[in-house]
Amino acid sequence: MNKTGDNYINIIKSLPDPGLGLGLRSKHFNHILELNPAVDWLEVISENFMDSGGRPRYVLRQIAERYPVVMHGVSLSIGSTDPLNKEYLTKLKRLAGEVKPLWISDHLCWTGVNSLNTHDLLPVVLNDESLKHICTRINQVQDFLARPVVFENPSTYLTFKQSTINEWDFLRYMTEETGCGLLLDVNNVYVSGFNNDFDPVHYIRQLPHDRIVQMHIAGHQHCGTHIIDTHDRQVAHDVWKLFTLAWQLTGGVATLLEWDGNIPEFDVYHAELLKAKQYMSSIGSFVFDAEELAADSEVVSNPVNFLVNNVNW
Amino acid sequence: MSSNNFSLTQLQNWMQGMLVHHAPMQDIVLPAAVEDIVNPSQRLSAVHHLDIYRHSYIARLRSCMQSQFNALAYALGPELFELFADQYLDTYPSESYTLNTLGEKFAQFLQETRPDAGREQKENWPDFMIELAGFEYALSIIFDEHADEQPAVILHDTPDEMLKLAPVFHLFHHQYPICSYYLEVIQGREPELPFPEQSYCAVTRHNYKLGLFTIREAQYHFLKNMQRGDSVEAAKDNLVKAFEFKRADLDKIWPEWKKGFIDAGFFVFDEP
Ligand SMILES: [Fe+2]
Repeated sequence: MNKTGDNYINIIKSLPDPGLGLGLRSKHFNHILELNPAVDWLEVISENFMDSGGRPRYVLRQIAERYPVVMHGVSLSIGSTDPLNKEYLTKLKRLAGEVKPLWISDHLCWTGVNSLNTHDLLPVVLNDESLKHICTRINQVQDFLARPVVFENPSTYLTFKQSTINEWDFLRYMTEETGCGLLLDVNNVYVSGFNNDFDPVHYIRQLPHDRIVQMHIAGHQHCGTHIIDTHDRQVAHDVWKLFTLAWQLTGGVATLLEWDGNIPEFDVYHAELLKAKQYMSSIGSFVFDAEELAADSEVVSNPVNFLVNNVNW
Repeated sequence: MSSNNFSLTQLQNWMQGMLVHHAPMQDIVLPAAVEDIVNPSQRLSAVHHLDIYRHSYIARLRSCMQSQFNALAYALGPELFELFADQYLDTYPSESYTLNTLGEKFAQFLQETRPDAGREQKENWPDFMIELAGFEYALSIIFDEHADEQPAVILHDTPDEMLKLAPVFHLFHHQYPICSYYLEVIQGREPELPFPEQSYCAVTRHNYKLGLFTIREAQYHFLKNMQRGDSVEAAKDNLVKAFEFKRADLDKIWPEWKKGFIDAGFFVFDEP
C-alpha cells in the first residue's frame, strides 16, 4: 500500500464513535426538526440529497447543524466494470463539503453496467481479478474525495462459480490494500449466510475488527428456503445475538438501525434501536432459534421507495 | 467452455441482462445456463438464487413508479398501471444513479405506445393519461428544483411595479382538467375519469411545499407574459393586445386578480 493508504488507515482508526444512530427518513423530518429527539447521530442516504434543491436539502442543512451525520450511499457501484461516474463523485464530494459527515460509506457491490442502473446492490464475483479491479477503484475514489471510504457487506442471494475468495477475506484484503474502512451489517451477514450456506459467526470472527467503524442492524423476512433483507420490521433475535458477538470483537462501534419499509413512528424506530444496549454485554450462546416464516411472494430485497421524493404541497 | 473464462465485464453483462431484459445480452457470448455461472445451495437451485434478484428488480422499480405516479396509478387501476410500468422499465431501463428521474420518459413512452397509434379514430383516455403522467413528473421536479426561496409576506396594496413572479413558479395548460383531477386523487376523493376540457394551472413552492392552483385562461396568458419578463403593466398591455380585451374591463378585474395572486403566493417583492 502507498503512503496515502497508510494515511487513510490512520484516519479510519481514529474515527469517533458517535453511539447509536438512526437513518434519516423524510417521514420523520418534521418530528426531528420540531422535537430534537435525543438520538446520538443520523445516517443520511447521499442520493436523497445530492441533487435536491428543495425541502430535503433544506432539512438536511438544519439537521447537520444539530446532529452528527454519516453519509451512506447506494450508487457508487465500486464493483462495476463501467468507468466511475465522475458526475456522481463530484456531487458526493460537494454534499460532503456541505454536511461535514463523520464518514462516507457505500457497499461492496455493483449496481449496473453499460450505463444502466438496476438500483440493486448486486453481488460481486470474489476472485483475484475483481479484488484488483475494486481496489484500484477504491484508491481512485478515496483520492478524489480526499478521505477514506467505508464499505459495507451487502446482503447477497447468490454466489458465483467463479468466486475463489471468501467474502470476509475479500473485505480484509480490501482494507489492507486501500486503507478503506468497513461497515459491518450484522443482519446482512446473517441473511447472506443463510442464503449461501456459510456460518455467520465464522464470518464475523474472521473480519479485521480494527477496521470496522460502523455496524448496521435491521429486520429481515424469512421465506423458508431463503431470507430477504427487507428492512421493514424489528431485528430478529438471532441477529441481536450476532450483534453481541460483533460488539465484543470490535470493542463497540457506531451502530445504526435500518428501517426502510413500513417505516414506523420515530419513537418506535428509536425504541427498537435502544434495544441494542441490552445486547452489548449479554453472554449469548450462538445456537440460533427457529424463526417465524412468512410465505409472502411480494417480498422485495432492499426496498427503495424511500429513495423517491414524497412530494409535499 | 469453463466458467473460469468469463471476464468480469461478461459476467456483469450476463447478470444484468437476466435482470433487466429477462435474457442475456445478445452481443455477449455466454452460455445461457444459469448453472454454469451461479452456485446452487443446500435449499435453492442456481436458477432460484438468480430469480430472487430478477423478481426484486422489477418489483422494486415498479413500486417506485407507483410512488412517483400516484394519480396515474389510480386512474389506470393497479393492473393496467403495472403493465405500463413494466413495459416502460423494459423499454427505458434506468440510466441514472438517482431514482428521482426514473419516470422521466414515462409520458413520452405512453405517447409512443398509445393503443390507438396509427388509427384515424383517436381515443380520449390516452391523451388524459399522457398529460397526467407529464404533470406528476413535473411536480416531482418542481418539488426539488434549486431556487432561493424568499419568505414573502406581500401586502395587498403593494404597488404593481414592485411585484415579480415567485422564484418557483410554473404554468400548465392541459386538454383535460389535470390539476383538479390530481388534487382530488391525493385528497382521497376517488374522481371519475374526466371529459376533455381546456384547463390551466399554476404551481408554486413556498417553505418548500408545493401550491397547486387552477386558474382561468386569461390569467394563464397574463402570467405567461410575466414569465417572459413583462412587468405587470406590460403583461396587461400584451394581454389586451393579444385577446382584444377592453383595457377598462381588465383594469376593473385587476384588483381581484392581484389579491388572489398575492394570496396564492405567485408574487414576491421585486427589489431594485
Ligand atoms: Fe446495511
